[in-house]
Amino acid sequence: MSHLLRVGLLRLADSAPVVVARNAGLFERHGVSVEIIASPSWANVADGLVWNGLDAALIFPPLAMMTALGRRGKGNGLKPVQTVSFGGNMIVLRGAPLLGNDWSAGPAGQQSFRTWRTRIGRAPRLAVVHAYSTHLLILTRYLSSIGVSVRDDIELTIMPPDRIIDALSAGSIDGFCAGPPWGEEAFLKGLGFIVAGSSSICPEHVEKILVMNDRTHNGMPIDSDAVRAALSEAQAMCMDPSNADDIAHQLAAPVAEGGLALSFDATRAVMPGASSPDAMVFRTGRQKNDALDWMVSDMHNLGWISTDDAITLERLGWFTREMAG
Amino acid sequence: MQRKGLIRVLLADENPHRAGALSATLRADASLIVITTGPDLPLIDAVRLHMPDIVLVDMSRADRDALDSVRALSGAGLEHPVALFVDEDDEHLMEAAFEAGICSYNVVDTPPRDVKPLLRSAISLYARFQKTQSELRAAQRTISEQQAINQAKRLFMQNEGCGEGEAYRWLRKRAMKTARRIPDIAAEYIRTHSKGTSR
Repeated sequence: MSHLLRVGLLRLADSAPVVVARNAGLFERHGVSVEIIASPSWANVADGLVWNGLDAALIFPPLAMMTALGRRGKGNGLKPVQTVSFGGNMIVLRGAPLLGNDWSAGPAGQQSFRTWRTRIGRAPRLAVVHAYSTHLLILTRYLSSIGVSVRDDIELTIMPPDRIIDALSAGSIDGFCAGPPWGEEAFLKGLGFIVAGSSSICPEHVEKILVMNDRTHNGMPIDSDAVRAALSEAQAMCMDPSNADDIAHQLAAPVAEGGLALSFDATRAVMPGASSPDAMVFRTGRQKNDALDWMVSDMHNLGWISTDDAITLERLGWFTREMAG
Repeated sequence: MQRKGLIRVLLADENPHRAGALSATLRADASLIVITTGPDLPLIDAVRLHMPDIVLVDMSRADRDALDSVRALSGAGLEHPVALFVDEDDEHLMEAAFEAGICSYNVVDTPPRDVKPLLRSAISLYARFQKTQSELRAAQRTISEQQAINQAKRLFMQNEGCGEGEAYRWLRKRAMKTARRIPDIAAEYIRTHSKGTSR
């Protein structure tokens, strides 16, 4: 058995493959010892990767890339090991759905937003899960498609995904873009309605990837091929609809019992094969080298990274075969 | 309002006992004005209200990300944004801080202050609290693992119509065969064999 691999993740349904691989003993079978650390926020995951609190993490590419570039302290050569999930994010707005309203791109969506905004009665406060998140990129793209500016027309706020339901319920936010199952849960609880999601904004975009830091690659005997093999098996299990009930139960179990304390109903509703257009996808197999191009382009447009940064990322292996499944 | 030369330190900790101990330590330094804030006020509002020079933050606070991202937020409404304190030359200090679960933010666009002595005090205090907490957690874990083993044994005895000795031998054999811990095998057995009853 090799050195213990500390893997950071958040309480999200798309953490399923890591949880399943641990619970089913797949990591052990491939000779890797894994400790899952369910972190309170994405900042903690990023800082853990930089300052020796974590060896690996299940994370979205923008924050991972910014961390690799040293934006949270010393650059640490963070590299992608495997793509784990695709899509699954939802944009939810507070209140009951407006009957007959069309939220698609263009003037129809803009009119619906105006009507909803009037009902809210203030500049809408919309939450995303981190400033350097795929969710902010997706929200920005969607709002822009209906003529709404993130900079001028809304108040953006940041909170970890598992705080969003309480904030929506308390009225401290008016909507959000977050990963599964939180959009579905807000909908099931009658707190809000889904206006768009990954599937309509950036179909099949890469969502969570497993990253490992340099220390792990160079200094310790962690076999990243073994980690990939265990995760691929778990991804295949997660994709099989006949396992959906069991996996949703595993994720609904308390953290102390190997779960993530998620709502069973909301998680079950977004498991692969479910009817939701934003059901999760844990596809394995080779991805295209350009899978992250749209994110890098948006990150550049928003002024997060320079052209030189993009070159650094390329040198670190972010756009090559390492993104293969 | 602010006396010249004094540093305003905002201490954001959800653990009142630890916050009290740390603020008592820091108040011994006459150059510091120590302000504490609990979980009720969002961190960003606390910064807006108290206008500190330095913010010491318990890393388990879920609203840390908001402070972290203040420059990216249009609605943050902070006159002087804050940024995560990072000392790239003192890796040991940074690792110790994150391990202890504390981090520090500095107000941007004001003359830099030496935050390291403060951070060192905070780290040593947090580490002491963490030790006590982890000892407590280890004790609780042992109890809950023992409960899981007992429950799995009872379930196995019911399902297989056997005695306690045989149930324990099965758990032990399976743990050895799969190179896992007995409490993990017990938890797995409970999970896979109590469908429809406990859920």
